[in-house]
Amino acid sequence: MSTLNVSNITDGTTTVGTSYVVNGSAKAWIFFQGTGTVNVLDSFNISSVDDNGTGNYDLNYASSFSSANISPVGTSNWRGVLTHDAYSATDTNLATREGGSSSKGDRGRLSVTVHGDLA
Amino acid sequence: MTHLWERLLEAKSRLAPVQSKYRVLFEDPATPDEPAKVLVPDPNFMAAALAGNVLPPIDTYQRDRLVPDGQPKEHPYAEPIGAMSEEEAIEYLVMKDIDPAVWRDYQGNRTIMKIVPVEMIPSDRSFRNAWRIMQ
Repeated sequence: MSTLNVSNITDGTTTVGTSYVVNGSAKAWIFFQGTGTVNVLDSFNISSVDDNGTGNYDLNYASSFSSANISPVGTSNWRGVLTHDAYSATDTNLATREGGSSSKGDRGRLSVTVHGDLA
Repeated sequence: MTHLWERLLEAKSRLAPVQSKYRVLFEDPATPDEPAKVLVPDPNFMAAALAGNVLPPIDTYQRDRLVPDGQPKEHPYAEPIGAMSEEEAIEYLVMKDIDPAVWRDYQGNRTIMKIVPVEMIPSDRSFRNAWRIMQ
């Protein structure tokens, strides 16, 4: 792989520092099926998903973050509310809850994007 | 040496994802009342494992478990290892993503971990929170 070593990127009018682009990129993402037999449909920088029970999943990162100060953001289909119950530099625990309730429920499609600094 | 994240990025652009035919069932001895968990291998990670020259040695991940947050970690810049078979890749994932209390330190007489074909995982999740590993 070749490396382009530049500190700024410009289109001729607007210039942005390369560090903004790198730091602003999501470091991991996943799209997976949480019903039936749980299955990863597509992803990046994920090594595995743990199916812990109804509406309860762990994402394990291939290249871990430098600390637990990360920002996972996700959505699920059909009135699901995605909450992050615990996270560390190496994994994030997700729960899908029924809208307006604290009870967990499985969802067919879940998408999560994670921002943060890599180790 | 390029960062692991960059190698994963390059591998994803080059390799077709590989859906594993295995799942890992396990129970955490620290929380015996919780249902059995199922580890689902990521298809892009499996593709990188089978191709080789992307993933670091497993012992770098294990040493990094002990490194406090914010301190430099070893696995991102470790020399990548060669290609693995699918079975070796599953063992690698067990050692990477499952707590050693399950696969190394447990001394009880219950079976708390099994590697099984995906067909053995029930697709009916009606009683998902009651799943246990059959003894």
